[in-house]
Amino acid sequence: MRKLLTFMAAVFLLSTGLAQAEVNAQKAEDFIKKVTTQGIEEIINSDVSVEEKDARFAKLFNEYLDLDFIGRFVLGRYWRTSTPKQRTEFIDVYREMNIKTWSKRFDEFKGKTFVFKGTTPSNSAGQIFVNTEVPMEQGAPAKVVWRVKEDDGKFKIVDIIIENVSLAITARNEYAAFIKKSPDGVDGLIANLREKSK
Amino acid sequence: MKKISLLVFLIFSLAACATNPDGSKLSADDEESGVEYYNRAMFNFNYQFNKKVMKPVAEGYKSVTNQFFRDRVSAFFNNLEEPAYFVNNLFQGEIKNSGVSVGRFLINTTLGLAGTFDVAAGWGLEKKKNSFDQTMAKYCVPDGPFFILPIIGPATPRYVIGWSADAYASPLFWALIDVEDDGVDAAVVGATGLKYINIYAENMGLLESLEEGSVDFYATMKSAFLQNRQKFTSLCAENNADEDALSYDFDFGYDDAFDEEME
Repeated sequence: MRKLLTFMAAVFLLSTGLAQAEVNAQKAEDFIKKVTTQGIEEIINSDVSVEEKDARFAKLFNEYLDLDFIGRFVLGRYWRTSTPKQRTEFIDVYREMNIKTWSKRFDEFKGKTFVFKGTTPSNSAGQIFVNTEVPMEQGAPAKVVWRVKEDDGKFKIVDIIIENVSLAITARNEYAAFIKKSPDGVDGLIANLREKSK
Repeated sequence: MKKISLLVFLIFSLAACATNPDGSKLSADDEESGVEYYNRAMFNFNYQFNKKVMKPVAEGYKSVTNQFFRDRVSAFFNNLEEPAYFVNNLFQGEIKNSGVSVGRFLINTTLGLAGTFDVAAGWGLEKKKNSFDQTMAKYCVPDGPFFILPIIGPATPRYVIGWSADAYASPLFWALIDVEDDGVDAAVVGATGLKYINIYAENMGLLESLEEGSVDFYATMKSAFLQNRQKFTSLCAENNADEDALSYDFDFGYDDAFDEEME
């Protein structure tokens, strides 16, 4: 009897352990709902100054995107050969450049809404895809997929896939091509991105 | 017609001498071969062409038209693609969808005032977009290597063949060959020009913001174009059975084997 109880307890522990490894789909979707609603209501459609919008966006961006994680992936194999200083600098300018370029696109998103289309599991542990569609004036809706990572119940966005185009992969390919041609390697990339985020 | 065949022939002989069998993969494997030299040169030419010709024209067009007008123009040309959707839905055994395409074309061409309004969608007949490119993907025709076409831009052989085949299904093409009238031919050429100016005008902002954040615009466009094309890969049953149907579900962890595979 004792053996059976121990066995049952072990199964129970194991199954809760497994359940924890799997991302809670509903929670992931709620997280993206929160992010998009906040972005639309408090930034895109709100009547505040451009400076205030930019500041709010920077806060949202820093809070909900895992830039350390993304930046590391984006630099790819060059991450390993970079010095700690280069890594920090890269993550910083990558963050600045993204905030800067996305801030300019607010107007394109005016009046747009996100329609939630469920989730898809990912092969990467602790990650899930939240599927959304943005209805367009003309033609088919744009498919926007959010790749979400869960760490101890905390959610972060690690990639955004627009019409099958992953922003992380695109940046990774782009930076690999740049570094290969640049005489200054990663430093050249950092300098170029810094110029862009001014 | 001869001219089109010649153009297609040129494109393929060009693509053939620069072929890399794995060119459609998401890697940068044309970097070492001569094809990248050509691609980058042609990309720069197109870039200058867009900047010096297309952009001023599109800006002029935008200044004399409003969003409402441009939406009608888009809808008009989208409606002319319905016959191609019909044929390709049929090719892929999507009988119901091909019926929808016929219905949409008939309704929108008449009640939708020559296609300028999508009234059919309001009746629940949503567009069932399809293409010969997609048909070929479904029958597992490989995409082939990436290359840059003059003026048109990023392409692959399957993309070009699909695009040319669909052009035959367009009423614009029928008008061009069936009506023996130079006036009609000129109108078709003019309409095609309008179509591309309208597309360019509507996407100019997006292109510019993409360029703004990019350190290597050619690499960005190439990567985005090829990833976008992967959406058809899972249509082929063999690929689907293979493994993950989601092309963007790459292993987002940090093991070295993955890095080598990607580069």
